[in-house]
Amino acid sequence: MSEFDWEGFEQDFWKNAGRRKTWDQIIPGELRNTVPVTLTREVIRRFAEGIGDPNPLYTDETYAKTTPFGGIVAPPSIHIMLMFACTAEDDWMRSPGTINASQSWFYNEPARPGDTIRMVGKCLDRYIKKGRLYAIHENVFYNQRGEVVCSGRGWTIRPE
Amino acid sequence: MPAGFEQIAVGDKLEGTPFLVSRETIRSFAEASLDFNPLHFDDKYMERTFGKTHFRGVIAHGMGTFAQMTRMMTDWLLPRGGMHRRMEARWIQPVYPGDEIRPRAVVSQKIETAKGRWLVFELTVENNHGEVVATGEAMAECPDNLAG
Repeated sequence: MSEFDWEGFEQDFWKNAGRRKTWDQIIPGELRNTVPVTLTREVIRRFAEGIGDPNPLYTDETYAKTTPFGGIVAPPSIHIMLMFACTAEDDWMRSPGTINASQSWFYNEPARPGDTIRMVGKCLDRYIKKGRLYAIHENVFYNQRGEVVCSGRGWTIRPE
Repeated sequence: MPAGFEQIAVGDKLEGTPFLVSRETIRSFAEASLDFNPLHFDDKYMERTFGKTHFRGVIAHGMGTFAQMTRMMTDWLLPRGGMHRRMEARWIQPVYPGDEIRPRAVVSQKIETAKGRWLVFELTVENNHGEVVATGEAMAECPDNLAG
């Protein structure tokens, strides 16, 4: 397992868009293809700074040691980045036009530098509401000890 | 020294830090979160209609607002010995470059169970036009034997 390769991440979401499942093709219950990702201090720092969260809990080990966490942890919202980092380029969450309607997340074990995070994700169902195509999906993130770091459900409006 | 669980009361208010959204903060959020959906960058793409929805230009990431909500919770909870355990968010209105968003919360429930001490919060995020852009609910746990 190696550190996440930021520079290798494909930023053009149009590339290979045709290979991603449309709303009609998404199969409820089918596991999404994922790869584990190892967090480092650098990954955590880059995430916290990029989202505009200056809390030293995420970057300053001396400060973080004085908190109940006992050391640097990742922001709880690290699952936003992990969802893309752990999935492949043909994953349907990259489909251009995907609109977030609602999210519900549960936080358990904090993610720490050195943790290798594994994602298990699937669509629970797809439905139509007020003329819009929705998917409800569930992701669970585990650390290398099999503990649940966080789990959540999302409701997204799928592009037509 | 901020109050711990005993001093926290239903009705206590949390004020998040105002966050001014710009194309630069949207780019920065995309690079950190890896969410490069063209909704956030492509002016031409945003001229189209999405189902029944038409936006007036590129929009900020909904999860960017979510991240500011979780930021407020951790900033408030950490000195009080609380752990952020749950965050639910619903997006009401899009956020555009130039908008300043500000999360707020109020303690809505304070509950002790056999093994835990819990707080529940109601959240809203408003833009600088006084419009609610997101609402949510959060929960925190306050362990009674803190390390550190």
